[in-house]
Formats: sequence, structure tokens, C-alpha cells
Amino acid sequence: MFKLFFATPDKKVLADVELEEITLPAFRGELHILPGHAPLMTSLGAGVLKYKLKTGDSKRLVISWGYCQVSAEGVSVLAETAVAADEIDPKAVQDHLKESEERLMTETLTDEQLVKVMGDIDRLRAEAAFLSEKAQ
Amino acid sequence: MASLKDIRARIETTKNTQQITKAMKLVSAAKLRKAQHQIVNMRPYAHSLLKVIANIAVTERVPHPLLVSRPEPKKILLMVLTSDRGLCGGFNGNIIKFTEQYLKQNSDKYEKTDIIFIGRKAADYFAKRSVSVVDTITKLDKDISYDLASGVAEKAMQNYLDGHYDEIRMVYNEFKSAISQKVVCETLLPVDLTKQTLDLGDAGPIPGFSTDMIYEPDPERVIDQLLVKHFSVQVFRCMAESVAAEHGARMTAMENATNNARDVLNKLTLTYNKLRQEKITTELIEIVSGAESLK
Repeated sequence: MFKLFFATPDKKVLADVELEEITLPAFRGELHILPGHAPLMTSLGAGVLKYKLKTGDSKRLVISWGYCQVSAEGVSVLAETAVAADEIDPKAVQDHLKESEERLMTETLTDEQLVKVMGDIDRLRAEAAFLSEKAQ
Repeated sequence: MASLKDIRARIETTKNTQQITKAMKLVSAAKLRKAQHQIVNMRPYAHSLLKVIANIAVTERVPHPLLVSRPEPKKILLMVLTSDRGLCGGFNGNIIKFTEQYLKQNSDKYEKTDIIFIGRKAADYFAKRSVSVVDTITKLDKDISYDLASGVAEKAMQNYLDGHYDEIRMVYNEFKSAISQKVVCETLLPVDLTKQTLDLGDAGPIPGFSTDMIYEPDPERVIDQLLVKHFSVQVFRCMAESVAAEHGARMTAMENATNNARDVLNKLTLTYNKLRQEKITTELIEIVSGAESLK
């Protein structure tokens, strides 16, 4: 058992939630953390974050850029955005994704724009994948 | 002397004004609550971010251009934060006054001071004066978003890293309480860890920073990303503070306006009644004296 501290810039703060395990979309791929993990600091990409509470309930969220720190006390996760399945509008995600992908293919983008569009696409793809996984 | 009709009209208009100011006060109060909420929500994120940066910088001794202050800063980028709308007391005036004074005092100290205006009021004021403006961002009156802040921040940071500026400062109204705001000038870049780490407060479980931490990818890249986020968060925080302060200022201003309108109304009603009584008295005298003369 370990504690989770989770924050985003605008809302949704979880503090002192006791967990059995947590799975994160880390820099080198999916990272699964169980109690007693070695101290670790990693950046997170866009993807699905899953955690299992002490009570046995598991929750899932889609996050975009963030970082995660594992220490003896627990895990702290900071993410740019975090949304649960019921907060995602499937149509809006698809539309936005299509639009971003089209922009990528047709327009000439500056470096900054490119980074932003790529980031958007990563996040939207993660959300879309999350939804289809949920539907099955 | 104004006629009864004139005074009646004035009473009407004052009443209307009072109603408007009262409504504006209520709207500001609601918006203030929301803005305050935003500040509170962001605090844990900002705090833990800074704490981790400080920890990595200290334990891993990672040098980073954003952490090193340059000796004798010559080129300054000033971000001036005001509101888009008026009717909020001295909120914008104070910022403008401060900025003007700052520019006057430091004009010979630095070789270049560029300004980014965030919010329309200061931009309008300085448009007619000779200052070097690099960018103006308006339409803040809707919701400020983290996206907007990080956009501004990333551009500014790029300029800083390219060596266009030695320091980036933000002039804004700090939100003290619903009734008081304070103009502050804060240095956002380079990041000063020594000062800020002292007042971090509680930000969740990240004490006991281990020295044999595993980093993915590596400490340099992790801290680089964290610092970028930190700067964006700081810009966002300043914006959130300023928005909250703006609504607070407007609330106070509108409260005062409503009170003033009430005083004016009282005075006008008094004059109106006096005049009315005078008129009645005169009419009575005329009738009595008319009847008297018929006898």
C-alpha cells in the first residue's frame, strides 16, 4: 500500500489516497508501480493512468504531459490535463483529432505549432483509444 | 432653482445607475469566487512542481540556463498585466503608474526594456507613449486558461534562452484579499530557487528526496521539462491573481458607487419634498388670500 498525490494546474487534486497499484504512461512505455518500488522520477506522456484503490476499486483517467515521482512515502503525479471517461465527448475528440491530423498534413507549421499539434494529437489519440477500449 | 420635474428625472436616473452598479457588484462577487477557486486549485500543483525542481537541482547539481542568474542584467522583458475593462477603481491606474515610474527610474540602468502588455488598459495607455512594445494580448475578460498562459510563457522563455533578454519580470496586482490588491513586480526568470524554496508550505508527500533516484530519461531532461512547466505555471498564477484582484477591485468600486448613489438619492428626495411642500404652501396662501379679498 502506498499513497498517491495527484494534481493538475486547474483542478482535480487527489491527496493521500491509498493505493494498491498504479499504472502510468511513462517515458519508456507503460510503468506499473507496486508498493516498495525504488525511488524513481520519470516524465509521462499522453496515455491512460490506471490505479487500484485499497478498497479494490480501480479508476482510469486519460492524462497528457506530466511527471511522476516515486519515493518511500508514495507516488506523486503531476499532469497537465486529466479527464475521466464520462467527461470525454467522443464526437468532439474525433472531430478535433481529424482536424489536427489534417493540419499536420496540409499546412506548413512552425516548430512551436508543430509541437502543439503533435501534443494535441497524442492526447486525442490516447483519449480515443481509451474510449474504444472502454466500449469493448 | 430646478423645477419639480427636473428633480424627479434626476431621481429616476440615479436610481437606474444604482441598480446597475448593484448588479455589477453581484456579478463581480460571483466571478471573484470563481477566480479565487482557481488560485487555490492551482497551488498544490505549483508548489510540488517547485519543490521537485529545487530537489533535483540541489541533489543532482544539474546546471540549467534558466536557473543561473546573469550578472548585471542589461536587457529586461517586462510583462504588464492589466484588465480589459475599466470600472474597477485604481486597479489599472496603479499598474500604469507603477510601470511609468519603473521605466523612468530604470531607463539609464538597462540598455533595453521591452514590454508585453497583457490586458487592454495598459496597452491603450502606452500606445500613445514611446515604449517598445513586443506583444499585446487582450481578451482576458473571458476565462483565462492555462493554454493561454503557457503560450505566452513559451514564447517569452524562448526569447530568454536565445539571449534576447537577461531577466523577465511581471508587473501585476497581487490578490491580497477581496478588498485589497497590491502592485508587485516579480522576477520570473531566472528562477530563483533560494528564495522561493523557503516558503513552500505543504504540498503533499514529497519529502525525503532520495539521492539514488532513478531518472527517466535523465536528470537534465527532466529538470528542463519541469522548468518549462514551472514558468508557464508562474505566468498562469500571475494571471489568475490579477483576475481575482480585478474582480475584487471592481466589487469594492461598485459597492462604493452604490453607496454614493444612495447618498445622492437621499439628498435629491429631500430637496424634492421641500420644493413640493413650498409649492403647496404657496398655493394654500393664494387660495386663502383670494377668499379673503372676496369678503
